[in-house]
Amino acid sequence: MAEPLITLRDVSRSYERGHDVVHALADVSLTIASGGFVALMGPSGSGKSTLLNLLSGIDRPSAGEVWVAGQRLNDLSEDALATWRARHVGLIFQFYNLIPVLSALENVELPLLLTPFNRAERLRRAETALRVVGLAARARHLPSELSGGEQQRVAIARAIVADPDVIIADEPTGDLDARSADDVLGMLRDLSREFHKTVVMVTHDPRAAHWVDVVYHLEKGLLLGVEPGDAERRA
Amino acid sequence: MRFLPLILRNLGRNKLRTGLTGVAIGLAVLLVCFFLTMPAGIDVFLSQIASNVRISVHHKGGLVYQMPFAYVNKIRAVPGVVAADGVVWFGGAFEEAGHVTFPSFAVEPEHVGAVWPDYHIDPAALERFRRFRDGAIVGRQTMEKYGWKVGQQVSLRSTIWPVTLTFRIVGEIPNARSPLFWFQREYLAQAIHEHGWTLSIVGIVWVRIADPALVDGVMTKLDAMFRNSPAETAAETEKSFFASYFGSLQGFVAIILVVTGLVALCVLCIAANTASMAVRERAREIAVLRAIGFGRGLVFGTLVAESTVLATVAGGTGALLTYAFTAGVKLAAGGWSTQLGPLSGFLVSPAIVGQGILLAVVVGLVAGIAPAYGAAHRPVASVLREVF
Amino acid sequence: MSGLPLSYPVRNVRARLRRTALTIGVIALAVIATSVFLALITSLKRTLVASGSPDNLIVLRKGSDNDGSSMLSYEAYQVLRYLDGIATLPDGTPLVSAEKVMQPFARTRAGGRENILLRGVDPIALAVHDEVHVVEGRMFRPSAGEIVVGRGVAGRYADADVGADMFIGKRTWRVVGIFESGGTSFESEIWGDLRDIARDANTFPYSGVRMKLAPGTDRQALIERIDRDPRYALQATPEVDYYAEQAKSAGTLYLLLVILAIPVGVAAGFGAANTMFAAVQSRTVEIGTLRALGFSRGTILRSFVLESVVISLIGFVVGAAGTLLVAFLLRIALGGIAFGAQTFTINVVTLRVSLRDLEAALVFATAIGLVGGLLPAWRAAHLRPVEALRKA
Repeated sequence: MAEPLITLRDVSRSYERGHDVVHALADVSLTIASGGFVALMGPSGSGKSTLLNLLSGIDRPSAGEVWVAGQRLNDLSEDALATWRARHVGLIFQFYNLIPVLSALENVELPLLLTPFNRAERLRRAETALRVVGLAARARHLPSELSGGEQQRVAIARAIVADPDVIIADEPTGDLDARSADDVLGMLRDLSREFHKTVVMVTHDPRAAHWVDVVYHLEKGLLLGVEPGDAERRA
Repeated sequence: MRFLPLILRNLGRNKLRTGLTGVAIGLAVLLVCFFLTMPAGIDVFLSQIASNVRISVHHKGGLVYQMPFAYVNKIRAVPGVVAADGVVWFGGAFEEAGHVTFPSFAVEPEHVGAVWPDYHIDPAALERFRRFRDGAIVGRQTMEKYGWKVGQQVSLRSTIWPVTLTFRIVGEIPNARSPLFWFQREYLAQAIHEHGWTLSIVGIVWVRIADPALVDGVMTKLDAMFRNSPAETAAETEKSFFASYFGSLQGFVAIILVVTGLVALCVLCIAANTASMAVRERAREIAVLRAIGFGRGLVFGTLVAESTVLATVAGGTGALLTYAFTAGVKLAAGGWSTQLGPLSGFLVSPAIVGQGILLAVVVGLVAGIAPAYGAAHRPVASVLREVF
Repeated sequence: MSGLPLSYPVRNVRARLRRTALTIGVIALAVIATSVFLALITSLKRTLVASGSPDNLIVLRKGSDNDGSSMLSYEAYQVLRYLDGIATLPDGTPLVSAEKVMQPFARTRAGGRENILLRGVDPIALAVHDEVHVVEGRMFRPSAGEIVVGRGVAGRYADADVGADMFIGKRTWRVVGIFESGGTSFESEIWGDLRDIARDANTFPYSGVRMKLAPGTDRQALIERIDRDPRYALQATPEVDYYAEQAKSAGTLYLLLVILAIPVGVAAGFGAANTMFAAVQSRTVEIGTLRALGFSRGTILRSFVLESVVISLIGFVVGAAGTLLVAFLLRIALGGIAFGAQTFTINVVTLRVSLRDLEAALVFATAIGLVGGLLPAWRAAHLRPVEALRKA
């Protein structure tokens, strides 16, 4: 097994909701190897999304430590976290979350706006990323002119364009038909296999297990079990 | 600059709302600029027309009271006085253009050049003015308004004296803002002599002093000279004379400024509302941008820039349109208005346009700040959680 | 389900307090801006145009535009007094008022200097100018150096208070009363004893003569008779026409204000309607939900438009109160707004907000509410519920 890219140590996260305290995550510890493809599974409210938010530095733990790519996220300020995310994390959402007024190419270019690249270089890289997801031909289309599967592929291109270490996907196939879902899962696996990205995905999709290396099961904020995915078993 | 396309796209998102807001801001800035030309007209008038070495001497009790004409020579004899010209209000009405009036005075032609050197009247015109009994020198504003040419004859009916006089225009005052009409005192004297009257009075004596440092002393001396005479005088600088003449317009200016302020405030609320709408309906997108690494400052900056770009473009257009609008109003209202005096100059200066654009920028900035701050500081995770 | 209860819009207004307050504020501002402007226009019109009595004539020297520049002799006055067709008092005194007008300097309360219109009259003047009433103090006594001042003068000039000594032109006068004339230009004048003022002016005894015609008199015939008298070059004009002519010189100003009122209204109205529009548009989802619940388009439309109009009306009430406050503050701060007329005398316009101005503002506010509420609500109500819901 390769060295760990992601390490969580005794991580808890609780929210105050009115007078109640909700424990979204309790004492979770795990490590994810660099280049791994991992699924987090569990019912609604099991804490998977909270875990994802912690991994991507969108949220902070109430207790415990989060290490990603050698960085202890607890140490970073809000603004430093944003800068860190721009460099190290690619995000993919269930509902794609593309900016509706920007074309596919411009959506992909967005993260590059945070880099020192000039316009020509930004466009070159954005086009490359679109080619990787097989959508070079639709670069000028607005999101509303694309199918759900295509939009999610644009979102994947956006996630990888800045060459992050880790790609975090929240229900990336949740809104897609079976064929598109397979495309997307295949693409995520390729990212892990061929481009050596670490891919962490929250999903309900039972088929996802066929593609990933490891499946983590969460329930009520607790890490219940770890089992190898089919891909791992095959290997 | 690299974020400009994103900002522009966002403005194009709800074209109707952006359009309505833009029109409201543009129109308001246009109005504000237009209103500002009115009080500014007084300052321009005072700084262009009034000289700091010229004073007026008139009856202490009001311009309605006259002074003996003999005062003029007494004033000329005072040390420090370079020249003096006694003028008489004629109240000429130009009947051909529908009974319009402009400031018309009988003056002493031989002293005009020395009292008003700053008017830069052609010496040849002054020479003709002295020579021709019926000669008149006319301000360029009045010349242009009625399409008069040098050499032309015009008739004015006096609303003060029971005479109508025909003049020959022998020259002009080369200042586009001067409405003055001057003619020879002797011409008026002869005309009223036919009614058995003698012109022995003078309304205002304009006096040019050698040096600005001497002005106060000469004014004190002149008033002292005529104290306890039947016609006591009040000497004042030209600037103070016109300023007090225009002083009565202050109330009007104040109302205009109040309305201007209200319009500006109204527009600020409108812009703020649009900005908060824009932020609210894009809460999710903004959270996504922040999730993929856009920092708080950047999100705040692009959102404020959005409302500022809108306000600046719309307001700038409005400010520039002031030129066209004032031209239109001038055309509709017809040049010099006695009621508004210099307020009706509607002179749009780059400074006024600049103030209009500044107002627009400030409106955009202020309107954008609160919603942008809110959007930049809302916890990303909680917004996204509502979405997932 | 037939209709949404009336309490639905009312609760909505409460539920969205901040947005609602903003919308009300914008509408109130729009109402204030336009009605202050309207009030300025109507006040100006009242002062400049509405002066003069329909059965009065003004007689001036031929060629004079106004009584400030006219001169009339004692003989001419005597001839005019005994013309046929002039109304009389019960004791037979003809209603003919010889008047001397001049414009000396007076000091404003703000410390400025202005030409003020000083009108010398005999007591008969109050019968000829029957719109003029002394409302404070009393009428002046002849040859006692006393004056009465118009309402506008009282607000604007220094020492124009009953019982005070007021310096005008060359001398001091004792103020003994304040008169009103329903907002017309007489309120910008000071009236004193004819002989006192003629002595002060030291020129011809009279400027002009005002006369009231007896009922049934052929006005045109009398005018022609006066105009044709070969002994005195006179010219008679109906008083109303005379003031209309005077007001023409203010036409530019008037026109200008009207030209400006339009964009002020449009800018303010646009903005207010836009705010309203935004407020309703932001609730597309809510409208979708209501549709999904089974409420009809008409019901939803009615409810949302009603809500907009309610907000507009609240905005109007706030704005109307604001207008009265602004007008009041302006009156205190400025003591009447001055306009120089052609003769260089000052017309003091008292800024009064009339019911008319507020009526116009009410129509304006209601229109904003209707348009601002109807358009987006109609659009949202015609979206399919699913689409409206997806706009989340």
